[in-house]
Amino acid sequence: MANGLVLIGEINPAAKSAAVGFFTRTGSRDETPEINGVSHFLEHMLFKGTDTLSAQQVNEEFDRRGAQFNAFTSEENTVYYAAVLPEYLLEITSLWGELMRPALRDDDFDMEKNVIKEEIAMYADTPTFDVVDRCRTLHYGAHPCGNSVLGSIESIDALTAVQMREYFARRYAPNNMVVACTGNFDWDRFCTIVDERCGGWKPQQVDRPLSHFEGTKQAERLAKPNLNREHICLIHTGVSAQDSRRFAASLLAMVVGDDLGSRFYWELVDKALAEAASMQFNAMDGTGMFYSYLRCSSDGAARVMETVQRIFREVQTDGITEEELTKAKNKVLSALVIKNELPMGRLVDLGFNWMYLGQYRSIEDDVESAKAVTVDEVNTLVRQLDPGSFTQYSLGRGAAV
Amino acid sequence: MESKTDKCVLPSGMVLLGEPMEGVESVAFDFMLPAGAAVMPEGTCGAANVASDWIFRGAGPRDNRALGDALDGLGLHRSDSVGSSHLSVGAALESSNLAEALALHADVILRPHLKDEEFEPAKQLALEGVLALDDEPRQRVMVELRKRFYPSPLGRSTSGEIAELKRLTTARTRAVIKDTFDPAQTIFTIAGKYDFDAVREQMEQAFGACPAGTPRSIPTTPRAGKYTHIPNDGAQVHIGLMTETVRFADDDYYDIRVATSILSGGMSARLFTEVREKRGLCYAVGARYHSLKDAAGIMCYAGTAPEKAQETLDVIVAEFRRLAEGITAEELERAKIGLKSSLIMQSESSSSRAGAIGSDYYMLGRVRSLEEVKQRIERTTVDSVLACLRNHPFEEFTVVTIGPTEVRVG
Repeated sequence: MANGLVLIGEINPAAKSAAVGFFTRTGSRDETPEINGVSHFLEHMLFKGTDTLSAQQVNEEFDRRGAQFNAFTSEENTVYYAAVLPEYLLEITSLWGELMRPALRDDDFDMEKNVIKEEIAMYADTPTFDVVDRCRTLHYGAHPCGNSVLGSIESIDALTAVQMREYFARRYAPNNMVVACTGNFDWDRFCTIVDERCGGWKPQQVDRPLSHFEGTKQAERLAKPNLNREHICLIHTGVSAQDSRRFAASLLAMVVGDDLGSRFYWELVDKALAEAASMQFNAMDGTGMFYSYLRCSSDGAARVMETVQRIFREVQTDGITEEELTKAKNKVLSALVIKNELPMGRLVDLGFNWMYLGQYRSIEDDVESAKAVTVDEVNTLVRQLDPGSFTQYSLGRGAAV
Repeated sequence: MESKTDKCVLPSGMVLLGEPMEGVESVAFDFMLPAGAAVMPEGTCGAANVASDWIFRGAGPRDNRALGDALDGLGLHRSDSVGSSHLSVGAALESSNLAEALALHADVILRPHLKDEEFEPAKQLALEGVLALDDEPRQRVMVELRKRFYPSPLGRSTSGEIAELKRLTTARTRAVIKDTFDPAQTIFTIAGKYDFDAVREQMEQAFGACPAGTPRSIPTTPRAGKYTHIPNDGAQVHIGLMTETVRFADDDYYDIRVATSILSGGMSARLFTEVREKRGLCYAVGARYHSLKDAAGIMCYAGTAPEKAQETLDVIVAEFRRLAEGITAEELERAKIGLKSSLIMQSESSSSRAGAIGSDYYMLGRVRSLEEVKQRIERTTVDSVLACLRNHPFEEFTVVTIGPTEVRVG
């Protein structure tokens, strides 16, 4: 659109539903310490309505169309989405468009602070989440990608509605957003509705400084007396979402740390040294990371880490095999097929491909890119990444073993 | 909203059910073995979990590694899980690899090696799984709740019990597998892109020679305890509560599903509005209907700061009770459209449909078409929902809390 808002759609007339998403390029990495947590807080506040809609009315508008709707905030994106039956798609798109210009009332802000603080407390009681969050902060140090998405109880207590409104005005510019739609819908009518709602928004200067960061590669451990397992997160530096090696990086993570059949699986889980062991690749804006999660007994943690170090050394020295790569490709390809059969599953890839690359990529494009990866490419990437050096954070009962 | 069900019963009694889906390349299948947690012999809670791991450590002509590699090579997304009545072993995949995947699963179910040296790691992983649950109070509170709400042994932990897992031996677990992996009582489901004639032929060859079995009944004892608190020095009090209601097979099942949606179906529903929106007591609060074959309830979870736990519980219980006092026509309409939408959207996923048709068959002895479900939801009225609520009032609540402080249960 003339104001910079991008609309992207992929139509599947055979689908029984449609999905729509408003993708905003803003997240915790776009925050300063004084307003840490504001992106996620705003995500909550957009559900609180506009000058003409109360929060209860917003919820009723979604529910009376049977929408499955929600939103999520990450380090670099805030995404609002809904999956609906085709007959409601335009109305729900219009509703989301309306909500993107929220009232941001003081009393809603004050009440929602309680909810956000409960969300922070809930994740503090979820070590699988907590350890990854802490490890990312440790890994990125002063780099903005280390900012916590939720913020802390202190930063949320200190946050004011004025700060939030100021942040909103800077970040929710049409030229910083993408509206994506998938499934069974009419493209022309979809465009008309978005234009009606969003055509009047004013573009403005908005940026995000991008810098790659190698990571602090420190190790820390926090004792929590109420835990009875050792939860370990490792973060390696990876390649960015704009880097063509991202497909090789995904396949590498699968070879090393898929839930089943990977090196982690055979060396750690199959032998019951660790009860859970996985590695995932996360491509981000201008940077990227691999994160591994391991869960074991505190007594067994030293042996688990020795084994992990050996796995990393071996993959660095000897590389991966042709057979491993073929298996990983099969898994990636079938996952792509299964996920993309649902409009809601397709929506996220469609939106993010535009957010990060400014490109439409079909499912076939992604399939071909994954198929084309060679063992040499993966092994070259491994050597560049140096898997032996990483950031480590552990949570567990008692003193470090 | 048409759906078609393929069905065939093998001579042994094993039931094959299928739902073909247009426009998909994936297929999902599920073997529902009558080896769930409630079926395990007394003193072996967790044996199903050990079994579900052990059977994959070598079967037919393949050892542990070769079997794992073969399954992986097909790009399978495995989904093995222990429920109250069944141990489900299944997967989703691209349909071109279906025949090979079924052949490997027939080996796993009929010809597992169950080698001594593979038993200890399988048992150890099951044990660690239970220990890991202690670190996730949000999940654990619901496990402890089901244990106390359902008549024993129906609500047994589907992860297992530490003491009983520790006592499990190789011989005992082999005997449990031999006894409960009964192909004759197994329900096999498949949904997505497949050729039913080919699947039937392959299943007949693989499972046709199995002896016919008899269904077993599970004797139950009444539920124990009304309130349990488990101390945990965490950030929140995690509250689980559950109250009895009509079962999946009962006539007014659709009325209670609508009532549960009015209580907690969407963000405009009563619990979210009263607990979170108006009072800011919780981030996570929600209730859902949960039914086994012989008992059912509405279960609710909320997590909140210790000083707000009592108020949270009181508001939730009051909302349960207030339902029978009246519901509006708008609430009814929102609940209906929500249930119908989610039904249609789930019908786009081969895994969801494979699960749903198996559960229907076990609970009802038949598979409901999507059209039937839609019509039954449509037929509910304000009066029928209120009649259901008044005929089955929420009297007793089973409550479990995990956290730094206790609550008072009235």
